[in-house]
Amino acid sequence: MSPMMIIAKREFRSYFGSPLAYVVICLTFLLLGLAIFWVGGFWKVDRASMHLLFQYMPVALAVLIVPVVTMRSMAEEKRSGTLEMLITLPVKDSDVILGKYLGALGLVLMVVLATALYPLAMFWAPWNLGPLDMGPVWSGYIGLVLFSGTAVAIGLLASSLTDSQAVAFFITFFVLVVLWFMGTLAEHVEKAWLADALTYMSFQSRLEGFSRGLIDTRDVVFFLSAMALALVTSFRALERRRWV
Amino acid sequence: MTTDVMISASGLTKQFGSVRALDNVTFDVARGEVVGFLGPNGAGKSTTMRVLTCFIAPTAGSATVHGFDVFEDPLAVRRSIGYLPQRAPLYGDMSVQEYLLFAAQVRGMDEGQFKSRLNKVIEVCGLAQTLTKQISHLSHGYRQRVGLGQALIHDPPILILDEPTSDLDPNEKAEVLRYIKDIGQNRTILLSTHNLAEVEDSCARAIIVSKGRVVADGALDEIRSTTGNVRYVITVDEQSAEGTHRPPSAIELQKALESLKGARGLRELPTDEKAHRFELSGSHESDLRAELFRLMVQKGWTLLELRRDAQSLDAVFRELTRGDEELDRGRPVIDDDDDDANADGDADSAEDSDDKE
Repeated sequence: MSPMMIIAKREFRSYFGSPLAYVVICLTFLLLGLAIFWVGGFWKVDRASMHLLFQYMPVALAVLIVPVVTMRSMAEEKRSGTLEMLITLPVKDSDVILGKYLGALGLVLMVVLATALYPLAMFWAPWNLGPLDMGPVWSGYIGLVLFSGTAVAIGLLASSLTDSQAVAFFITFFVLVVLWFMGTLAEHVEKAWLADALTYMSFQSRLEGFSRGLIDTRDVVFFLSAMALALVTSFRALERRRWV
Repeated sequence: MTTDVMISASGLTKQFGSVRALDNVTFDVARGEVVGFLGPNGAGKSTTMRVLTCFIAPTAGSATVHGFDVFEDPLAVRRSIGYLPQRAPLYGDMSVQEYLLFAAQVRGMDEGQFKSRLNKVIEVCGLAQTLTKQISHLSHGYRQRVGLGQALIHDPPILILDEPTSDLDPNEKAEVLRYIKDIGQNRTILLSTHNLAEVEDSCARAIIVSKGRVVADGALDEIRSTTGNVRYVITVDEQSAEGTHRPPSAIELQKALESLKGARGLRELPTDEKAHRFELSGSHESDLRAELFRLMVQKGWTLLELRRDAQSLDAVFRELTRGDEELDRGRPVIDDDDDDANADGDADSAEDSDDKE
């Protein structure tokens, strides 16, 4: 196994060493259930669609799951000094960043994939509420995976800029929420070019297509480049310690 | 022989903003040497070690470890060293065995190699009882051992240990030092500390840094003699004297000792006997013992003790690093104008404060 994968594995396992992972998973399912069946009115809509899941899950990722999961990854290592121990092992800085990234992404994707229990339980067994159109479900999950990848990269970047978990949490929370609601904000902006720019960068408008079953290359490229940018910046932030 | 130089630092300089943490640090460590790297807090010990382990880059200068340049081949450098950072920062959520396995895997060892090395490490570091315990539940002494264990797991030719004994109680300290001595028999070890007694026990050579500069480098005896002073301790009975002579008062004795040629830095030492005890220093070349003896005979005083020894390493250390005290946060400037030792206790007092450059 490469050092990167060993670090990723350690990182992933460490989430289960504390109650953190369990709390996040339980809270996510509780809130998601409330959102879909109560706030969103799944029964009133009366359609065999999982559209509501893809509407609320990204919000849960942005405000809860990703900030909580990524807040410690680099910040805690810096605060406790374990970073020095880790980096002075024969590993490249990029191994550390990518390992941490994959470890955190692993947990987030686990939560994302676990939400598949909703469509499975409602439209396959034990209940069968009707014929579910699988196309939007598949594309919706592809969208969620891309969004998770980008959000975790942003969270990791926030965590590598500070040595306080709380600060990392709030930066990630703030950035993700702003990037999410930019589209809504754009509706209230009068200048057309500004509204376009906001919509262009908004995670919500980028994910819109995926939840309707539309996979647009532009959206895929948008998420992949945002992810790469955040990862490269995290790498630079880690490398910076050598020179200051 | 150049191939036998395991660690070589030349002209290392590190600037943190306006603070110069290292200033032209140059030294070599040869194969098989156990070298004590000494200095007060903030002198640049940890910074030097971080440069050698490629954790940070120097502002100027270069270093090679096991023949590899720290700039050009950091991975090869790290492969050939075992490093224990200050305070042994470990992942608290792992068990000791998991942690050691993690370190071994990152170093590319397979299961078989790990198992055979693990037994050695357990034996040397005394970890048999704690193998399955979670690291966050261990005492600091045991954490330090685990830190030492991970540094040894791949059987490295070079060990760099940053204050391996700080925060330990005296028993733990003695044990860790014994381990270091054991493992140092066939390895090159650079060991930083501000506790001089440790160096006397486990190292043959010391490098003393102060304010980012190397102020002394050599065998312990050499360093000890750098200031060229020896000290004498004299104890004279304060109650009885020879025949009709009166026993001396402290002032009389002090005056008599001051009149000796070549005696300097006279000062009274505390004693619980009914006697006066003085300490004075003289130059390396002359020997004051004969004169002291004649003085006592002439006055008819009873000499209870007369001792001459080389200056203690403690005193040399304080002399070489004088002026550094202002840098030590929260520690009062020691007003010590004698160039000799008063007690061993001083080495320990510096230990509480943290050493962060």
